[in-house]
Amino acid sequence: MLSSTRCRIANPLRLFSRHLNAASTSVPHVESLPGLSQPEPITASDAKVAPILEPIYLALAPTLTPKAADPQPADSLIVLDPTVFRHPIRTDILHLCVTHYLDSLRQGSASTKTRGEVKGSGHKVRPQKGSGKARIGDAQNPILRGGGVAFGPKPRDFSTKLPRKVIEMGMRVALSSKIRDEKLGAVARLAWPSGKTNPLSRRIDELGWKKTLLVTGEEHVHVGLQRAIRNIPMVSLTTPDKLTVYEVLKWQRIVMDIKALEYFERTLGKDIPTVAVPPL
Amino acid sequence: MAFRAPRITLANLKPARGSQHSQKRVGRGQASGHGRTAGRGMNGQKSRSGPGPRPGFEGGQTPITKLFPKRGFVNQNARTWAPVNLDRLQYWIDQGRITSSPEKPITARELLLSGCVHDVHDGIKLLGDGSEHFKSPIWITPSRASKSAIKAIESNGGKVVCKYYNALALRECVKGGTDKTEAAPTRREDIIWYGRDRNRGYISTQTLQRVGSLPFVQDRWKELAKQLGVWKKQDFDAPRK
Repeated sequence: MLSSTRCRIANPLRLFSRHLNAASTSVPHVESLPGLSQPEPITASDAKVAPILEPIYLALAPTLTPKAADPQPADSLIVLDPTVFRHPIRTDILHLCVTHYLDSLRQGSASTKTRGEVKGSGHKVRPQKGSGKARIGDAQNPILRGGGVAFGPKPRDFSTKLPRKVIEMGMRVALSSKIRDEKLGAVARLAWPSGKTNPLSRRIDELGWKKTLLVTGEEHVHVGLQRAIRNIPMVSLTTPDKLTVYEVLKWQRIVMDIKALEYFERTLGKDIPTVAVPPL
Repeated sequence: MAFRAPRITLANLKPARGSQHSQKRVGRGQASGHGRTAGRGMNGQKSRSGPGPRPGFEGGQTPITKLFPKRGFVNQNARTWAPVNLDRLQYWIDQGRITSSPEKPITARELLLSGCVHDVHDGIKLLGDGSEHFKSPIWITPSRASKSAIKAIESNGGKVVCKYYNALALRECVKGGTDKTEAAPTRREDIIWYGRDRNRGYISTQTLQRVGSLPFVQDRWKELAKQLGVWKKQDFDAPRK
């Protein structure tokens, strides 16, 4: 959808060089071999798979602080790795990841006292016979008021295990679902030099970034932005290594800078050749 | 209008079809099918709460584990070597199935991949059967080598250094990994064995001198030889004066 709305690739970003290389080397040059009367049968080691994956073109969103030197957002596209950003949507995998994450958040500290732990003597409350009342031993019996709790909660660990590869796949699916829903935005950089909250809040309203999670892949997160964004409701700032599948799904919209996108391509990408990006 | 899938949020996730089982609810009435005795059968120890009789308990009868005496012994330190005789090795070399050079000596990996051994077990032991047919100079790092094998290899101008491989190091060797540091011997028996020149142990200073500076000899071996050979100069039982 995005690729069809745009006609010129103004800003070839360095994002995709790895995949470009993979695609260009994968074209078999049979005719260049000298002295061959007929094409040799391709052995398993020679066979190169022709690229079938189309890259994803994503329009660049305007930055928080636009500058004249910036590429015009309306004309700029970035090219994304389809193995990360066009993964088949598997809601069951998302469910696994989210449940696993929420399980890990449970404190599991609920605790009650059993009849053995309730304070009190083990003295028999009244004689076994002759009182006209029920037989009873000590006063901590669970059926008595002030007695222990039968089968009550005890501290325990609710966390579950999930294979790392499933969690990684979950992140691919989550990012791909955001791309599919057109809820993932890309910006050249995320910074707010003045560090003031009020103008940032107005700028965010202006950009329409309500209920948006900003993800910055910079090694040192911009301090001004970090401070200014803290007190703005419905907007937050995080880094890609801290991003979880749960957060990706919880936030309505996600805006990443180029370095964050690169981080996910690096950590989640697979070396599958993609169709070459058309030249400028 | 084209069908548009709903936006994916936390609210519309669900597990894969058929991947979940519903919990069995026992003791919730006859209609459930798990009412009355709640799947625990008639009375007895196993129908009560608690873990029931311990495993191996046969109701008071002498259990089978007590009926017969213990017999035998398991040697925790036993190692099974994969034997390679020199005539077999020569045959493999003659066929070109295995080669060696000072840069790339024969290890358990080459022997396994060429089919000279079918399993490396706990390491390769080089034996001297058919040493009269053995003619090639080879460079080899097995776990053990017999006296006759050492003699035959060195008389042909080859080099043999016996290296200590623990299970992890042997696995890495067979997989061809190079990024991990191989474990040094920790047991006294191994330190002594691999420190002896007559075994061509890799932490013997004489062996390292004898081999010289070949490419496959690591500097670490010399350091290990120094550190693990300290005991030879220590005398703990010397009477105090």
